[in-house]
Amino acid sequence: MLVIKDLVKKYGKFVAVDHLNLEVEPGHIFGFVGPNGAGKTTTIKIIATLLQPTSGTVKVDGVNVVEEPLKVRERIGYMPDFFGVYDNLKVMEYLDFYGSCYGIPYRERQKTALELLELVDLIRKKDSYVDSLSRGMKQRLCLARSLIHNPKLLVLDEPASGMDPRARIELKEILRELKNMGKTIIISSHILTELSQICDMVGIIEKGKMVIAGDMDDIMKRITGKTIVRIKISGDLEKAVNILKEQPLVSGIIKEGDELELSYEGEERELWKLLKALVDEEISVVSFGKAEGNLEKIFMEVTQGEELLS
Amino acid sequence: MKNFFRNPVLESELKVKMRGWRAAMAVTAYIGIMLLIAYLYFKTILDSVLRYGGYNSASQSIGLQVYSVLAVLQFALIILVTPAQTAGAISAEREKQTLDLLLCTKISSIGIIFGKLVSSLSFILLLIIGSIPLFSLVFLFGGISPGDVATLFLFYMITAFAVGSIGIFCSAMFKKTVTAAVTAYITIFVLGIVTVILGAYMLANYYDSFAQTSTTPPPYIPSVFYLNPAIGLADLMLQQLDGMSGGLVPSISRSIFGYSYYGGSSAATQNTGIAFWKPWSFWIKNSLVLISIACLLLGISAWKIKPVHRWKRGWERK
Repeated sequence: MLVIKDLVKKYGKFVAVDHLNLEVEPGHIFGFVGPNGAGKTTTIKIIATLLQPTSGTVKVDGVNVVEEPLKVRERIGYMPDFFGVYDNLKVMEYLDFYGSCYGIPYRERQKTALELLELVDLIRKKDSYVDSLSRGMKQRLCLARSLIHNPKLLVLDEPASGMDPRARIELKEILRELKNMGKTIIISSHILTELSQICDMVGIIEKGKMVIAGDMDDIMKRITGKTIVRIKISGDLEKAVNILKEQPLVSGIIKEGDELELSYEGEERELWKLLKALVDEEISVVSFGKAEGNLEKIFMEVTQGEELLS
Repeated sequence: MKNFFRNPVLESELKVKMRGWRAAMAVTAYIGIMLLIAYLYFKTILDSVLRYGGYNSASQSIGLQVYSVLAVLQFALIILVTPAQTAGAISAEREKQTLDLLLCTKISSIGIIFGKLVSSLSFILLLIIGSIPLFSLVFLFGGISPGDVATLFLFYMITAFAVGSIGIFCSAMFKKTVTAAVTAYITIFVLGIVTVILGAYMLANYYDSFAQTSTTPPPYIPSVFYLNPAIGLADLMLQQLDGMSGGLVPSISRSIFGYSYYGGSSAATQNTGIAFWKPWSFWIKNSLVLISIACLLLGISAWKIKPVHRWKRGWERK
């Protein structure tokens, strides 16, 4: 869906993006992570046809962003980190306006606008002035706006910034729903735990260079060389810990309430052996599985603990 | 072609602009100022005629004088109002952080510029239409035809287009609306004053070169005059007023434009009885120059706001 090859963007002598390469397959949620000034927004703006690259190619669904920006705009929905709204426009009029900017016929865009307002839970606000909405609502409206032309790729730059916890949870739900609808999503955020929960791919950019990119679990394993396993036990936790300690390839067992988290250095397909060892000793295992990738851990490992994202 | 005129920016701007009390207040204030000045002027000359007499055809003369005042006043107001309407067209979108959202849609940068300009010009047209009842008072006194007023309004719209394009240009070039507006006003007034001073200097030099000869110098229009819509307005009005000012002005204008406004009606009107103005008069050429410059400025503005240029590949944009 998105292919970036050798992308360079310079501002005078300053290199904002330095020979960046990236490939995102359709249907994935790609988390774009990096410290302040790493080149995230610059890259996103180039993808959104809003910035001229110095060199390199960016293709969205096979279409070059510089050669055919209009075709790219049909395919992407863009939500910037900071955005404004028009005074004196109502919510429906706002969506209708952007719908007409994409050349969607009146009836169709009215229908789509209502569906999108349902999706982002703003249907009750359809006749309210945009200016009167809370920040979280404006963010959701902006997300709806970016979907008005049914794009294949969604490019979201810090969509959760300034949102309260509830709004963030709602946004996560919406993004999951969009993924189920088959959309490819590129999302940059500084809230790593949130990205961990919704992204299946991640790319870490630092000083304009892509340090690492790919499947989150793969990256986690590549960095630490271990699989993180989370086990929920009902009963004797100490006994379970002792059994696990005896197992080869197991290290770093951490107790968290009635849960255990451990690092497993073996092959993923051999994990059943751990479960068998516990069950053979009549330990009541409630749940057993790989822990979700911890983006904070990846980020800190990759950037060697540089200033955390703002 | 239908889609060309279906401009979402224009439609939205027109809707939003007329919402609320601001637009109504602006139209009311505009007409109010014109009405007040016209009334004061009308009263002064009426008092003067009633007290001292001295007019053979007082009615027509009063009509023409009120028309002149209204025409110049409206011209000045258009010059003042139009940049304020257009100078924020692009910069305000930048300030509100909505420009990127607009630019990443399918609407072209020329479409955005076109929509912004036409919506501003529509408001100016509304002001002009609002002033029609005021202008129609002149018809009570005679001397001016509806065609004259229509021509004047056409010239106003051309002027608004030219002045508006300067506003749009500044708006595209500068990030802040205040900077854009101030620059637009300075540009317009400097252009207005500089062209007159430079034109006068060029005229003086031209006549100096004929000082030693006995031949009458052929008419000469300094090229800088074509940049100044006020000179075009002067030409148009002098044609319409049929040399009402008498003496010096027609004599100067004959030297400059090559025709005089003497004789109760313009040459074109006398010969054909149809034309309202002399074909290829200065004001028409002036209008064409202004339209050309405006189109150029709008083209540059559209280029400026266009985020991605195909031919710029590999060329570093600062």
